[in-house]
Amino acid sequence: MQSHFAGIGTGNAPQLNQELPWHRFLLTNVLPLTMSLLCVGVATGGLLLIDRFFPANLVPIVYLIPVIIAATRWGTWPAVTAAVGGAAAADFFFFPPFYSFRLDDPQAVIDLFLFLFVALISSDLASRLRQETETLRQREHEIQYLYEFSRRLAACFTVSDLIAAIQNYLSGTLGRHTAFFFASLERNFQPEPMGAVPETVRRSAAAMMDKAGLGADTITDEATKSVWLLRAVSSEDATHGVIAVNVGGDSRAAVETRTRHVEAILAEASLTIQRLDIGGAMEEAALRLKDQMLRDAFYGDLSHELRSPLAAIRGSASVLETMPAVRNQERAHSLVEAVTFEAERLDGFIANLLNATRVSASDVRPHIECADPRDVINAAIRRRARQLAAHTIEISFADELPLIDVDSALVEEACGQILENAAKYSPSGSTISIGIRAEQGRVVVSITDQGVGITPDERQQLGLRSFRSQRHDATIPGSGLGFWIASTFVKANDGTIDIVSRGQGQGTTVSIALPAAEIEDDESASRANE
Amino acid sequence: MSKSTNLVLLIDDEPKIRRFLRAGFELHGGFTVQEAENAAEGLRTATFNAPDLIILDLALPDRRGSEVLELIRSWSNVPIIVLSVESNEEEKVRLLELGADDYVVKPFGIAELIARSHAALRRYFKSADENPVVTAGPLSIDLVNRTVLLNNAQIKLTRKQYRLLHVLATHVGLVVTHDKLLEEIWTGNVRKNIQYLRILVRDLRQIIEADPNHPRLLVTESGVGYRLQSRFEDVSIG
Repeated sequence: MQSHFAGIGTGNAPQLNQELPWHRFLLTNVLPLTMSLLCVGVATGGLLLIDRFFPANLVPIVYLIPVIIAATRWGTWPAVTAAVGGAAAADFFFFPPFYSFRLDDPQAVIDLFLFLFVALISSDLASRLRQETETLRQREHEIQYLYEFSRRLAACFTVSDLIAAIQNYLSGTLGRHTAFFFASLERNFQPEPMGAVPETVRRSAAAMMDKAGLGADTITDEATKSVWLLRAVSSEDATHGVIAVNVGGDSRAAVETRTRHVEAILAEASLTIQRLDIGGAMEEAALRLKDQMLRDAFYGDLSHELRSPLAAIRGSASVLETMPAVRNQERAHSLVEAVTFEAERLDGFIANLLNATRVSASDVRPHIECADPRDVINAAIRRRARQLAAHTIEISFADELPLIDVDSALVEEACGQILENAAKYSPSGSTISIGIRAEQGRVVVSITDQGVGITPDERQQLGLRSFRSQRHDATIPGSGLGFWIASTFVKANDGTIDIVSRGQGQGTTVSIALPAAEIEDDESASRANE
Repeated sequence: MSKSTNLVLLIDDEPKIRRFLRAGFELHGGFTVQEAENAAEGLRTATFNAPDLIILDLALPDRRGSEVLELIRSWSNVPIIVLSVESNEEEKVRLLELGADDYVVKPFGIAELIARSHAALRRYFKSADENPVVTAGPLSIDLVNRTVLLNNAQIKLTRKQYRLLHVLATHVGLVVTHDKLLEEIWTGNVRKNIQYLRILVRDLRQIIEADPNHPRLLVTESGVGYRLQSRFEDVSIG
């Protein structure tokens, strides 16, 4: 499977990645300590200034201020630094002997230790408070994004919408690289800005898509020491792609937290994919239902509505035909006959449409039963008697014809369609010959006419629904459904249909081969006839 | 044989169909006609007026025709011929098993229905003391003496061939389902094997038909059963 690569997470991630390690070290570790010491310096300066005018008695309390500031702004270690720095500065500047770290007064020693104790406890409390606040802010941030994410999920109608939502969310909350590899058959590889995705990750994502069922992988990129999570985005029946997220490489705990986070998001997303699947399936079901309803309507009401008036017409004409006044009057009789004929023709059209509906709905379920081929052919001829009236019909049955295993109604209809075509496409008065013979476990019915024949071009298109040759469009009426219905019905009976013509004007032979019934035991003939 | 005038009840919701049926039955003589336009009215008339023949449409507005058929059959043996737009063979077989004497598929000519009606009435009114000889074209079958004449010459049949002809003759002009024939002729699990029936019919046709390839006496009702024609009809051109 060829994968191609889509958008890469944006947000603040790129700037972060461009920072050099020592720069980041300075920024996160050295700067807060320096700032803490600077605060201690400022406090000392202030105290020295006040001390000029009147002796400062609350020295330790003043030194608590930089400790609290450091704890709330930069955390525990800067606060501890401030506490120690403050104690040292107080000792140096304000406890006798001045400008020395030596302490002579035991009271001063107690004071300083008390200060250190209180400072450390306060710094711990303050930094915890800071952490809590930070966590709360983070949570709020996440909830906001999650809310945004779920809103976007609700508006997802395609898998690519979903992927965009995931990317937006992950880069927003984690500030991380996310990349999506589509499992797609299209072979266009999108050259997105993807230098940030290491080659190992790409290879592994491609491997995941090739191996169905592999849902997750974790890769550490040796060059940047960052951990990439690879997760398959899949629904019940398909893998849509693989999402790769850089969860960083700083600390194990942070990576674990982010991993959990990413997994929660992907779980949510896979639910959405299922919803998308269900949505698609429902849409399809609705379409099918509509189709089915149309068919049912035609099958049930419409065909009934069409056939009832026809039955009245055909029936009334048949009564008229028997009335002495009509029977004895040639002209009236022929008119009534025409009514009957046309009514039957219309009924034939409706039957054809019903058959076509059945075929296109794949609703041809043959009821296979042993039948005598002679009965089937005779019935087909009888059913089309009016259409064949202008032709000479010659039938030759081979002796010793085996029985056939077919749905007689379907085969009768198929043969009828072919006979009707033979009559339609050959001149009045010409002969249609029907031969039935046995041939290697099959019974072959061949229907030969002396008609217009078919060209090789037309032969190719035969069997397509509604195919009609342009040669006859103007001259011979028809729907083009006949051969299509016949060949579908024959195939449904495990038979084959073959059409041969020596060319235009040379007549046509259609051969239908049907499976002969297997004789179940040798005794059957004698059992049947004792 | 049937009475001089038979009362026929038409149950059909289409007035135009009832109209031509009434005209057809009255024109052919021997029938008086009553009409019902729905199942409820049909059942009422069938109960109180004791018709000799019922023509029942399957698509009624208030009840399924097959239910009406079953209800009437629960108390009466009156001949019932079903009018159906269904050309579904399984449905036809089901109706016959429910007790319909025969069916015609819409659209149909009145002659076909009248022929079926006569056949059904003949069977209904036939009593033991009547002539036990059934005639079907050139065939005459003596049901008591078990002899068969073809063009006035006695023919010899095997036991099963005669049994088949006998069952068809007792229903002359009416369709008899495959299952019914198999049950009447065979015993045991052979009963389910339609192949035997086909072979038996083929053999019997060799004897009784002028052209066994184009049978005119023992005709096939595709997917349903067989019918012994009471007289030659113009089978080749309907």
